[in-house]
Amino acid sequence: MRWLKFFFRKSAIEKELNSEIRFHLDSVTQEKIDAGLPPEEARRLTMLEFGGAEQVKEECRYAHRLAFVETTLANLKAAVRFMRKSPGFSIAIILTLALGIGANSAVFSAIDAILLRPLPYPNAGELVVLHQYNRASKDSSRPIAPVRLEEWNKYNSAFQAIAGSYTQDLSETSGTVPERLAEADVTPRFLQVLGVAPELGRDFTPAEERFGGPSAVLISDRFWRRRFHADANVLGKRIRIESSSVPIVGVLPASFQFPDKDIDLWWPVPMDAPIAQNRAYTWFTGIGRMKPGITLAQARADLDTVQARLGRQFPQTDKDLAARIQSLKETIVAGSRRSLWILFGSVTLLLLIACTNIAALLLSRITERAHEISIRYSLGAGRGSIIGQFLTEALVLALAGSVVGLAVAAAGVRVFHSLAKALPRVEEITLDWRLALYTLCCAILATALCGLVPALIASRRSISSTLASHGRTQVSARASLQWTLVGVQVALAVTLLVGAGLLLRSFQELGRVSPGFDPNHVLTLRISGNYGETNDQKKMFQRMKNTVGALATVPGVESAAISATVPGAGSGFPIEIKAAGSAVSPSRKITADEKVVYGAYFETMRIPLLAGNTCKKDTLWTTAVVNRSFAETYFPNQTAIGHHLQITSFDAKPEIVGVVGDARENGLNHPAVPTFYWCSSNADPSPYFLLRVRGDPMKLANALRREIHRIEPSRSVFEMMPLSERLSESNAENRFRTLLLALFALTAISLAAIGLYGTLSYLVARRNREIGLRMALGALPSQIRARFLAQGAGVALLGCVAGLVIAAALSRLLAGMLYEVSRLDPLTYIAVATGVLVLAAAAAALPAGRAAHLDPMQILRHE
Amino acid sequence: MKPNDLVQGTLSLLILRILSLEPMHGWALSQRLKQMSKDVLQVGPGSLYPALHKLEQEGWVTAEWLTSETKRRVKFYSLTKEGRRQLNAQTADWKRLSGAISAIVIPARG
Repeated sequence: MRWLKFFFRKSAIEKELNSEIRFHLDSVTQEKIDAGLPPEEARRLTMLEFGGAEQVKEECRYAHRLAFVETTLANLKAAVRFMRKSPGFSIAIILTLALGIGANSAVFSAIDAILLRPLPYPNAGELVVLHQYNRASKDSSRPIAPVRLEEWNKYNSAFQAIAGSYTQDLSETSGTVPERLAEADVTPRFLQVLGVAPELGRDFTPAEERFGGPSAVLISDRFWRRRFHADANVLGKRIRIESSSVPIVGVLPASFQFPDKDIDLWWPVPMDAPIAQNRAYTWFTGIGRMKPGITLAQARADLDTVQARLGRQFPQTDKDLAARIQSLKETIVAGSRRSLWILFGSVTLLLLIACTNIAALLLSRITERAHEISIRYSLGAGRGSIIGQFLTEALVLALAGSVVGLAVAAAGVRVFHSLAKALPRVEEITLDWRLALYTLCCAILATALCGLVPALIASRRSISSTLASHGRTQVSARASLQWTLVGVQVALAVTLLVGAGLLLRSFQELGRVSPGFDPNHVLTLRISGNYGETNDQKKMFQRMKNTVGALATVPGVESAAISATVPGAGSGFPIEIKAAGSAVSPSRKITADEKVVYGAYFETMRIPLLAGNTCKKDTLWTTAVVNRSFAETYFPNQTAIGHHLQITSFDAKPEIVGVVGDARENGLNHPAVPTFYWCSSNADPSPYFLLRVRGDPMKLANALRREIHRIEPSRSVFEMMPLSERLSESNAENRFRTLLLALFALTAISLAAIGLYGTLSYLVARRNREIGLRMALGALPSQIRARFLAQGAGVALLGCVAGLVIAAALSRLLAGMLYEVSRLDPLTYIAVATGVLVLAAAAAALPAGRAAHLDPMQILRHE
Repeated sequence: MKPNDLVQGTLSLLILRILSLEPMHGWALSQRLKQMSKDVLQVGPGSLYPALHKLEQEGWVTAEWLTSETKRRVKFYSLTKEGRRQLNAQTADWKRLSGAISAIVIPARG
């Protein structure tokens, strides 16, 4: 493959050519001088004889170039001819590669968009999310008080700016029916931190960000198109939010989706408002941009100093508070990271299996081409050129496969888009040049994997000459390499099957778990409200009480309740509380999940009441109900009823009035933890309303809307869906992952079975003579069949064992996703092993049966 | 005498044969060719060097840059294993071919 050298050493070759020709000229001249001519005359004559030195050089250069182009063209033509000769074979290979490469590219596009690419903000690596938390009570992170956020922004030295936001759902009331809008309330510097400018209009002015200043609002591109049909004169138009009319001052670009992709409008919060000076309020999720070059650790240290100073200045409120900082990208993608990498691993295994299959197929064709190869050798070809030809064939197949594979990848990308809820940043997954480049790399890798081994083996001179001359009289053929490949395929397929099996079993176990409540026939809905209402607790309570009462009277509704979180899909919110009273030792720390419910919650969710009573309907924040785990853990030898809980972050001391059964409020895969239910309706201005109905929950949708419109005409109703639908949505990612892995595993084992069948068929065909001889010498058909079956089964068994070992080692990766199923669950491993062996036996039975039915007379006569 | 078509086609055979005796550079090769053919075959550099480079491309000869006694860097060509095989094959072909042509063109005795 000298043309490679030519490629890389062009200038060196030029220099060498020059000195070579010059040496020749000088030698001829010297000869003439030695013969007696004067030097200039000698030189002149030489030049005349020589003709053009440049022409000679050009011919030499041409010789090199031609060889390179000739070789490549010849190889390509030969490759295409090879493909056309056996179209079925080639198509099978191309399709297999298309599937393998396409699936790989699709998953890579997801990984690239979600995990690898930076967020779509300028210098997104500088963006961090901020919370505050109480060091003493080990609370989880909470939103930051407005005045504290301003102080952090003013006194830090590690950030360019810090801003914050919170979201609420409001009603836009300029239409006939109130329309629910998702609003983000933002501090000043919000757009500055994110580095985005409105695509139309402007950011807020300082006057609009002041208390008492003019009102203004920014809207999203989606809302602009939906409501105003992309009208360019939208600036200055007004919309009615709750009871106020506000002008639109700008439209933000479609790619801007902060704090989340459903936000319709952004409203500035006046940080100098009197109500915003309260240090105990927890309003804002902070978003900050670090200065260039500052690391997360430095930013943390800096804010720690700032907050420490504030703690000294305001000991009562700030003494134990600290800042919690995380990179923005981490908060968005961290949850899906593991799933995506596992997916990528599986799809790569699949590609490896496919390549192994193809390599085995190509190997099995070598014997047919032995004659062709030996002729090429006798014509003087170098080993390199034979290898080059085989690799070119593999490359052509791989390129064809990857072109089709791009179509597969495009379909895969569409599948990802339909999973928008399960994965973050899904809108950013596209088919672009990076993906095409990756596909090309896959093709090259596939070429190397599929083509290298057959090329190396085929180009062995010993093989080609032996096979070419003795091929027909060879009695036994070893195919140990091909069997190894089959064994490898079986091992990899078993690994995938075990993984899929464990996830499926986990799913099955989850299905068997009792959630502790009954999610069927429960309808959930939300009604818009805003945080401003929380200033008047009495009024808010009255509204909630009226709403629940009215909803309960709608025909078909059995009971109604309110909950701040969705039962069965909430996220645990553990807090530390104390139990007041002498019965419990004061030093005993109580950590429990906090839930806030109101109305007939336990009746609606069918959570059994074990002792005492459920929430009192007429009081707020004064009573609580605990679950069985709580009672047994913290009040083991007495009744919990009657004790008072002391909530450190609030002044309230609710009394425990009842004990209910354990319910898996945070999801089926989280066992019940000690939980206390605070009886109140005022945790959130827009909580979840839960209604137990007779029959199909959605049948009552219209009736409920009418009723709500009757009592609250200015509020909008949204997110109305059965509870079971909400719960299955929260399971979507898990289901998707399991389904996909199962699909890969099935494809893998099918490929392995096909490989087994193909190799054994080929072997039977090659050993026709041997079988004929054996049968003529007295072997029974059953013995012949048994031999071949044993060979196939033996390889499958070895592959299976290897696969089980690999699976056991890799099952560690699934640790967090398995529920009530050990990663070494014997049932799964045995089931997979049995299934694979049975399948292998079936795949081997056909060729073995064919071998047993051969007619020895026919075979021997063919000689 | 200028090389005619017949010699052109067999130039690679001639080069391989001469290089099989010992490695040498292009100038020496043209001299040796003239000498061994008793001045009948004279190959100019315009044919010689392209042929040498083509042979190098095919992998039948390999080249090495050595320093001569006159302190000049000179390119020496030598035969490779494959080149030797080629030489044998082409020699056999040539014997067959020239024998057949001679049998037709040169009248047999008697």
